[in-house]
Amino acid sequence: MGELWEVLTRHFPEFRAGFLVTCTFVAVSFLIAMVVGTFVAALRVMPVRILQRIGTFYVETFRNIPLLVLLFLSFAGLRRAGIEIGRFTAGAGSLGLYTAAYVAEAIRSGVFAVGQGQIDASLSLGFTYPQTLRRVVLPQAVRTVIPPLGNLIIAMIKNSAIIGVALGLANDLLKTARIINSNTLQTTEVFFWAAVGYLLLTIPATFTVRYLEKKLAIKR
Amino acid sequence: MTYLFDPSNWEWIFAGKNARFMLEGFLVNLEIAIIAMTLSLVLGLALALLRISKQRVVGGVTGAWIDVWRNLPLIFIILFLFLWLPRGVRESYADLVPGFLPDVFKNGAFLAAIAGLTLYNSAVIAEIMRAGIKSLERGQGEAAAALGLPYWKSMRLIILPQGLRRMVPATVSQLITLNKDTTLVSIIGIQEVMRHARIVTNTSGSPFTGTGIDAPLLHVFIGVGVLFIIVNFGLSRLSRKLEIRQRERTGTDVESITGLEDQVALDTSTR
Repeated sequence: MGELWEVLTRHFPEFRAGFLVTCTFVAVSFLIAMVVGTFVAALRVMPVRILQRIGTFYVETFRNIPLLVLLFLSFAGLRRAGIEIGRFTAGAGSLGLYTAAYVAEAIRSGVFAVGQGQIDASLSLGFTYPQTLRRVVLPQAVRTVIPPLGNLIIAMIKNSAIIGVALGLANDLLKTARIINSNTLQTTEVFFWAAVGYLLLTIPATFTVRYLEKKLAIKR
Repeated sequence: MTYLFDPSNWEWIFAGKNARFMLEGFLVNLEIAIIAMTLSLVLGLALALLRISKQRVVGGVTGAWIDVWRNLPLIFIILFLFLWLPRGVRESYADLVPGFLPDVFKNGAFLAAIAGLTLYNSAVIAEIMRAGIKSLERGQGEAAAALGLPYWKSMRLIILPQGLRRMVPATVSQLITLNKDTTLVSIIGIQEVMRHARIVTNTSGSPFTGTGIDAPLLHVFIGVGVLFIIVNFGLSRLSRKLEIRQRERTGTDVESITGLEDQVALDTSTR
């Protein structure tokens, strides 16, 4: 027990720095995922065949490819091709683009969850189309989309751990634990605290999502 | 773009044994996925049954176990087990493996890889199965009890067949995630497709790659990506088909959950 606390107090600055890097990765990647995901979802609901195809191609490609392959492609692959991109950009970018495919699917299913009948009803009641979107479609779509997006953030926190160890792209929490471990060889203690770091992020997020799911559920 | 499509940059595929070497690596990934999936299904079912146990303590402890493993990064679990398992355990495992199995299986790290994948995925699958069982109407269990079926019989004959069938699409989509996650075991040194890809890009030394042809990293990893897309795309089609067939058969309205990342698969069913 004593050893457990000792490891934490001695290496707290490193752990904290790693934790913050993980948080930064998640925040930046989530921004990228939201922007790209919304754009791709928009492509997939456009009435133009070719745009739909492009959207589908994006989703199917990025959803079925391992994140590790994306990281290799974006960092080492592009570097060999003569395109220099930074370590952080490659890491956060890959995670963001990977998650964007899932975000696009979540948003698309949210929009489709609002029935065409409701839109027709709203229009026939004299609402204009923008009003219908704002007052009928969006409030319901947002309620359907938020729980899946929450789940994607959780998945993202977990996936962000790949960035650090895969290519040594950044000293995030897991990479930090690995470095401390190679210096001290106190594997159980070091990884225990890293686990606490990850669970501090994921478990509250899980409970929040469960709560939101219940609260936002549309009773039909 | 010209760099990407320049035919000389794709020559590596046909040079020497490169293509065969890459496919062999990919086969290891598939084998790992199948072994880990089988173990996860068995363990996941056991965890799900314990989780819904009427004994409060048992259910609570199992719930905590599931929540911890499900919420840790998979790569974290694999790396931890690899570093934590004493060398002696790994070596005695390597000695125990029967000789007819492929060489990758004899690596001590393989034990850590399979254990890590199973710990994580059994927790996720337990949650999926629990959601499936919970989604059944209460009346099913009550009717079984009223007919005088004991707990385990009503589970085996009434609850599980219906509950698990509902969760088949979600389970297949978890299989897709698992298939992608098998690349993570390359980090602890198991020779699978990612490692093979790196060997291929390194033209000197290896007996497989002494072809004198430059294999650009970008192109090799695009090749790896294509392999995964082919298999996973097929799986996601299968998942969608199963889902439609099931909706037709049971008339239940299970919402679309195909291909979403593990935790997303849960939320539609817990409503």
